[in-house]
Amino acid sequence: MNENSQLLQAKNARISGFFKKGVLIALISGALYGVYSACLLAATGSGEWVGWYGGWYVAGDSATINGIAMSFLIAVLILGALGSGINDLVSAIWMVGKAAVKGKFKDYLRCLGSKPGIVMVICALIGGPVASIAYLIALTMAGPIATPISALCPAIGAIIGRLLFKQNLNLRMVVGILICIAATFMIGSTAFAGTELNVQFLIGLAIALISALGWGIEGAIAGFGTSVMDYEIAISIRQATSGIVALFIVTPALFLIAGHLGLYPSMLIDAFKGPFIDPDTSLLASPLVFFLISGLAAGMSFGFWYKGNSMCGAALGMACNGTFSFWVPFFSFLVCGLYLGWGYVDGSLSVASGYVLAPIQWLAAVVMVVGIFLIAINPLDLFKKKEA
Amino acid sequence: MLPLNYAILKLFEDGSEYDVCGVIDQLKDKYRKFRAFKPAGINESLMSAEQNGLLDAVRYELDGNNELHVFYKANEYGGGMIRDYIK
Repeated sequence: MNENSQLLQAKNARISGFFKKGVLIALISGALYGVYSACLLAATGSGEWVGWYGGWYVAGDSATINGIAMSFLIAVLILGALGSGINDLVSAIWMVGKAAVKGKFKDYLRCLGSKPGIVMVICALIGGPVASIAYLIALTMAGPIATPISALCPAIGAIIGRLLFKQNLNLRMVVGILICIAATFMIGSTAFAGTELNVQFLIGLAIALISALGWGIEGAIAGFGTSVMDYEIAISIRQATSGIVALFIVTPALFLIAGHLGLYPSMLIDAFKGPFIDPDTSLLASPLVFFLISGLAAGMSFGFWYKGNSMCGAALGMACNGTFSFWVPFFSFLVCGLYLGWGYVDGSLSVASGYVLAPIQWLAAVVMVVGIFLIAINPLDLFKKKEA
Repeated sequence: MLPLNYAILKLFEDGSEYDVCGVIDQLKDKYRKFRAFKPAGINESLMSAEQNGLLDAVRYELDGNNELHVFYKANEYGGGMIRDYIK
């Protein structure tokens, strides 16, 4: 082998190796998102949370938490903001700790006050409290269709990546993104039955689009930001901002709107309470443990999401991360359905419980892989290589 | 003192050309105590900047051990972004 061909081989290996690593990291971010969501679901279904959610009665638009009546929407937002705020703050502790262990704590502080650091804080606010609360409102108003609508974020991220950062986006990639979105609708389709089309539903859809826009902006801009900033520092800033704002500004503000600010400190403490071992099942089932796992998985998932986007572009990175549409029900099935036993009805696993995957969801996962494959690779290139 | 990643990119704002070894040479006095100041991490930073259009790979060399050295340079867009965005 002469020097020129050795050089060419080394050049090609460098680029394809980096690209493949980016795709792998983005795919892992989607799976970790599933772990984070399933453990957050488990945390907010254990300990005191059982009473907070279980104590609800829905009569028209009202609900009760700790015996106090409030509007259904406010109750949804309070519990949603409390759960996601705790998760993000726990996640921030994990991520800042990880950065500190790797000797990056001083750089973390230096980045906070810089222009890219401020952009990262704004991204965290848009993708954290704003998009998450929009998503919760959309779920309440429009039902489960909010999930696939919000999963339009890869398409939005790809468009932003193209417009702002001149990233590659051709017709093949657009078709791949559309296939991924179709797969997301297939996954969510099991919960569409009985959906009523009215003004509230349509407003809910519009609000779901706000969450998609929020996550799309975050993915594209924060992904680009990690080409300037270390991704472990970026994710530490993201989770700390999101956790502090959700838990210490948004949640008390919601309690204030409900007229029960006094309830906030006690619920904040009670949110972690619960026996480590469930006396009925003898399983580890403490909210604290589940929050520790969900926070770690969330930090790693978002960090890999940013890193993957910066390594293989927002369009492909976000499509790979978008596999969370499959991984969320999959890990919810493992953690909540199988481990905690929420998927069993009358002693056997039941699809109707919502914690067991339906056949169409497995099929959708295959469709999603086809979509991602199409975004990543031009199938015609494979034939060309064979011919060569 | 700038964060390590910012310092790496700032080297390129005046149109200079460096590979990983060149970056290490330029920054070793200030950053050698950083645990993240390693060739693999610096290489990843440079390749991310390349993937996001800030830097272009302009020259390739194989050394005596058949190790590839990639030399990067900021393009017009990247140079402007590094100057205006990293402060």
